[in-house]
Amino acid sequence: MRIRKAVITAAGPSQRGLPQQNLVDRDGVQKTALRIVIEEATSAGVEEVCIVHCPGDREAYAKAAGDVGARLTFVPQESPRGYGHAVYCAREFVAGDPFLHLVSDHLHISQTSLRCAQQVVQVAERENCAVSAVQATRESMLPYYGTVGGTRVSKQPDLYTIERVVEKPTPTEAEQSLIVPGLRAGRYLCFFGIHVLTPAVMDLLAELIEKSTPSDRLQLSDALNRLAGKERYLALEVRGQRYNIGVKYGLLMAQLALGFEGQDRDEILTLLVELLATRQQVRS
Amino acid sequence: MTSKLVDLITSKDPQIRDLPLERICNQNSAEELLRECHALEEFRRHNDNLYERVRALFFLHAIHRYHLPPKLPSTLTRVPFAGYQHLLARRYEEAIDAFLGVLRSQGAGDAICSALAVAYHDLAFQTLANQVRRSVRTVRGNQWMFRIGHPADGPLRIRPELLERHPQTGLYPLLAEKTPVRMDLSHSAWSDIFFLGMDYPEGARVLNVSIDLAVRGRDKAPRPPIETYLRVIDEPVLRLVSVDLGARADITDLREVFDFAKDYLGLLKAAVIAAGLVPPGMEGSEQNLSDLLACVVGPGLGLEIVSSVNNIPKGSRLAVSTNLLGSLIALCMRATGQARALAGPLSESERRIVAARAILGEWLGGSGGGWQDSGGIWPGMKLITGCLAQKEDPEYGISRGRLMPEHHILSTSEVSLETRARLQDSLVLVHGGMAQNVGPILEMVTEKYLLRSEPEWKARRQAIAILDEILALLRQGDVRGIGAATTRNFREPLQTIIPWASNYYTETLIERVRSRFGDDFWGFWMLGGMSGGGMGFIFAPERKAAAQDFLQELMYTTRRELQHALPFAMDPVVYDFSINAHGTVAELLCGEAAMLPPGYYTMMVPQWLRTDPREMRPLRRAELDLFGTASRTRPELSGMVQTMFDQLFPRSRPEDEGAGSLAALLEKNGFDPQQHERIRADLRSGRIGLAQNRLPPSTIIEDVSPDEVTDATAGLPDHYRASGMKALANGEVAVLTLAAGAGSRWTQGAGVCKALHPFCRLGGRHRTFLEVHLAKSRRISRLCRQPLPHIITTSYLTHAPTESFLAAQANYGYEGPLLLSPGRAVGLRLVPMVRDLRFAWEEMPQQVLDEQQQKVRESLHAALIAWARNCGEGSDYTDNVPSQCLHPVGHWYEVPNLLRNGVLAGLLRKYPGLKYLMLHNIDTLGADVDPALLGLHIESGGCLTFEVISRRIDDRGGGLARVNGRVRLLEGLAIPREEDEFALSYYNSMTTWIDIDKLLKVLGLGRMDLADAGKVTAAIRDVAAKIPTYITLKDVKKRWGHGQEDIFPVAQFEKLWSDMTGLPGCDCRFVVVPRLRGQQLKDPAQLDGWLRDGSAAHVESLCAWD
Repeated sequence: MRIRKAVITAAGPSQRGLPQQNLVDRDGVQKTALRIVIEEATSAGVEEVCIVHCPGDREAYAKAAGDVGARLTFVPQESPRGYGHAVYCAREFVAGDPFLHLVSDHLHISQTSLRCAQQVVQVAERENCAVSAVQATRESMLPYYGTVGGTRVSKQPDLYTIERVVEKPTPTEAEQSLIVPGLRAGRYLCFFGIHVLTPAVMDLLAELIEKSTPSDRLQLSDALNRLAGKERYLALEVRGQRYNIGVKYGLLMAQLALGFEGQDRDEILTLLVELLATRQQVRS
Repeated sequence: MTSKLVDLITSKDPQIRDLPLERICNQNSAEELLRECHALEEFRRHNDNLYERVRALFFLHAIHRYHLPPKLPSTLTRVPFAGYQHLLARRYEEAIDAFLGVLRSQGAGDAICSALAVAYHDLAFQTLANQVRRSVRTVRGNQWMFRIGHPADGPLRIRPELLERHPQTGLYPLLAEKTPVRMDLSHSAWSDIFFLGMDYPEGARVLNVSIDLAVRGRDKAPRPPIETYLRVIDEPVLRLVSVDLGARADITDLREVFDFAKDYLGLLKAAVIAAGLVPPGMEGSEQNLSDLLACVVGPGLGLEIVSSVNNIPKGSRLAVSTNLLGSLIALCMRATGQARALAGPLSESERRIVAARAILGEWLGGSGGGWQDSGGIWPGMKLITGCLAQKEDPEYGISRGRLMPEHHILSTSEVSLETRARLQDSLVLVHGGMAQNVGPILEMVTEKYLLRSEPEWKARRQAIAILDEILALLRQGDVRGIGAATTRNFREPLQTIIPWASNYYTETLIERVRSRFGDDFWGFWMLGGMSGGGMGFIFAPERKAAAQDFLQELMYTTRRELQHALPFAMDPVVYDFSINAHGTVAELLCGEAAMLPPGYYTMMVPQWLRTDPREMRPLRRAELDLFGTASRTRPELSGMVQTMFDQLFPRSRPEDEGAGSLAALLEKNGFDPQQHERIRADLRSGRIGLAQNRLPPSTIIEDVSPDEVTDATAGLPDHYRASGMKALANGEVAVLTLAAGAGSRWTQGAGVCKALHPFCRLGGRHRTFLEVHLAKSRRISRLCRQPLPHIITTSYLTHAPTESFLAAQANYGYEGPLLLSPGRAVGLRLVPMVRDLRFAWEEMPQQVLDEQQQKVRESLHAALIAWARNCGEGSDYTDNVPSQCLHPVGHWYEVPNLLRNGVLAGLLRKYPGLKYLMLHNIDTLGADVDPALLGLHIESGGCLTFEVISRRIDDRGGGLARVNGRVRLLEGLAIPREEDEFALSYYNSMTTWIDIDKLLKVLGLGRMDLADAGKVTAAIRDVAAKIPTYITLKDVKKRWGHGQEDIFPVAQFEKLWSDMTGLPGCDCRFVVVPRLRGQQLKDPAQLDGWLRDGSAAHVESLCAWD
């Protein structure tokens, strides 16, 4: 399996401004969040990138993508029918190929020389199946994430066979069906915002859309849960961090994380120390 | 070391494992039994298997309680105080060590065996309870709640639908859950007790039906009796409202959520916690409730949770409270997304988690039921069965069964719709009006199961077979056959396992129904723990309506007949019922439909109207608008204006005036207002009180030496018997039965006459205490061929009921003179001093309860202290029915009353040869006019001879002592140090032989003076002044609502008969009598042991019934 395509969803009505936010990347260059996400994808060997957006956002996103903007495929999600539907909007772009999927409101920073998306793509290509990046997460964060249940793959410490996927489970449900052996009590494998998906997902989404009404909000997790029952589907505990830039101070934390990773680390530290000292002076 | 009993416990062969303990014990001598005990003790200390350990503990208990004492020589042993303290503090292992130390050093004796029996018994239950609790916590889906200790960690969020305000009314939607209750279709022989299901899952099977209810004559048609509601409110509080109990609370402090006994909202609080809304892990976290609510619901918002059970009476045996808990938990789970569907029924896995959490909630609230109790959550008819623990269960490797059972819903192909309808057409469901504590019964069942006593084990297997039979009959649609099977179940296995499952009231009802309906009465069906409350009668369908009318009237009249004999909590009720095919179901009500039940508005609107309209929140104003419109248009809300007016301006209570009023009763019963005011002043100033009851700490209290008592335990010389027989034949003796008290411990302050309680089946039928005492006098009368005069002392509380009861029973055919000696003094109870409450609860040794129950008790104590403060310490206790506000002033007065009311004078006129009285307590069932003891008293020449018995661990409240050199009986209230009591070998049985003339002399009177009322009164007053007055706390029940009961500790004063032994000039002797003669039956929980240890048989041998 070779991953050549990526789908980035940026159609959440409440997240419309996020991809255009400016940050300074590890290389010291100022970029939009969207651009950083696109680079995450291309670093994994992806050649074609599709952005699913709200109607009317295309121009702004094309601009936010910078010099790669002209090479992107833009697909609008005409009505806000949920995350799963947004992914489904890219079915023609995907055209029966496996694809990398990222969300535009998360930035990922790897702890290894391989970027996060690269880690996922590498495993997917090696194992020849769908792979979702996951991270062990405390149960108090369950209301924010899709969560998977499954078992460890023998002799591969970071890899799990997914048996069940539930979107934002309650702790009760998580404890009953999503406990993964080997994790600390009260921790679950929650999605990291990076997936390599097989074309079967588009078929499953199509089935779900057919059964739903226009007012239903379709979740990607519902299709992924079915995928787990249908074909081999793995979860990779990625060695890296995700930063949700849509939450309070999310952008700041993402920026600090990027800064500490890159060439301007010392400068940022100096600035922070100065800031702390100044604040102390003002206080005293 | 080989041990037959250890082999019996560990055997894999059921033939051996299920052998009854008594079969082996009966074959063994005391020495052999002690060796077996040693082996069992070693075994249970080193064994890892929970149930083998527990069974060994029950064996040890039973051997020490029942099998060893009769085989032991009468060695006098004492219970070490240190061991007793360990026992109170639930340090059972340490207590057992202390008791075994005494056993090793002093040898086995009755006292130390009693202490070991109690310690093993309590440790066994503690071990079982701990395991259940551990299992409840480790059920998957419950564990996370114990990890959450901070609001920021709270993973629950309110469903967004509940936050969408209605565009027109502006109100938040209302989530309403309607839940049926459950009916136990076969009576499972209590096999749904957790312990039993976890050890013997194959035998834990229950047929359980969800039903809707209506109170006949009050409600139109059956409906799910439980309704619970939840909605978002615009205040950051948790508002809990119980419509039936008329209680509401706006909770802002997290600690208050865990304060279960503070108000009547404990069950709602337990539900909020068990549902994870306020996770149990947050207890003691000192976090803010508003922060938690902000996290779950939103900043500035809160939740209102309302419950209503349609006024179904408490004690219905239909598991109303567990299903209410289940309903509330389901509601909260839906609201926080823990159940997939906001409306409609629950899925099977959701129902299971609700059931597990209901068990958790019951544990949190300090109560407990069976695992079938949340059956109302499920639809229709189901077979609930215990399950063997599998690898994935937390119980695996610990117990054979797991905590949670399996529910198999019976389909209509298994039990047809027609059969279900036929069952409905034949069964008359009733509540007989009795509400009793079934806790002791559940303990008895567990113990008997683990001991595998032969008849009970056989009965259990018979009950299992009857369940199969009922299942088959249901499949065949044979309702008449079901009636026969449930009757057989009640008559045979249930009463074999627990004789107390039936009672006189139930038997009377069955007998009268049978005589009225003959063959059309198809059977009786016992619901729940014991009969007298919820019961079922099965009739030919064409007679059902007539039977309902008949039963209503029958229960009412029978209750009236027995109201002073049995603890009724409420008027009996006949239900209409129908099988509920849906289980618990929710609905989301929006806009104008988002209304709470009428009772909610009756309770809340008057309070809202009292607030300044300008300060009223917009949401409340909108709700008032909605309510105003609805009360004009909705028929079910007609009459609300009048109801609310009554609520705003309550009418005066009719009992405040008239002949039955408190003032009239006080006047009638010789209340002395001056003495009352003096006592109040002394109490308030601290001159008297619980602490002041005690003798000075410098008092020297020692045990008596053998030569200071006469030991009659091994019999007395023949000449005493001859003297006694002679006196009896000459008509020199009469019996004085003390029956003026209320027997507070017997019914926990229910205020019924203990003497009239048909407490046990003896000689083929239920007998009252009074009947037993008369039967003993009858036997003695026949023995000496001389009718024995029998006097029964009474009080304001017991006189009229005793008089009418005896008239109705034609004095039980007693041939001799039978006289009542009415009381001549009465006191008015007082609200206790906080000082005394604290002394009783904090200074005096208290049995520490199980962890959660202890928390509930501490919370209750805090509430009662607040109650005493609010009512005014030392003020008159008048907030109850008048008879519960009065109190008898102690049994010392009962002999003087005999003088003042002229009964003794009349008796002496009629029987001038009368010289002696035998005084005994109503609960000393083994006391009779034993000729040898009488002879001893006569020949001793003393004024009073008191009978004492060797002390067992539960004989608390004083004893025979040498006090500053004088041998006398010492009341427990007066003992300055607890440990002093444990140094005393003998306990007071209260039975006293009285020489009439010598007693009169002590009072400064002669026989001729008895006609002079003034002289008698003055003499009594003089002596009374020398007798100490004790302040005591008594539990009094206050009944309200539909079968609800509150228990309040009230203060009263007493003078006690045993203090005669300290009176100068009163020549007292003491005789040690056998335990079977002197022991008292104070608590219904003692009944089972009393029946099993030979006490009942001994009493029967003393009686001539006809």
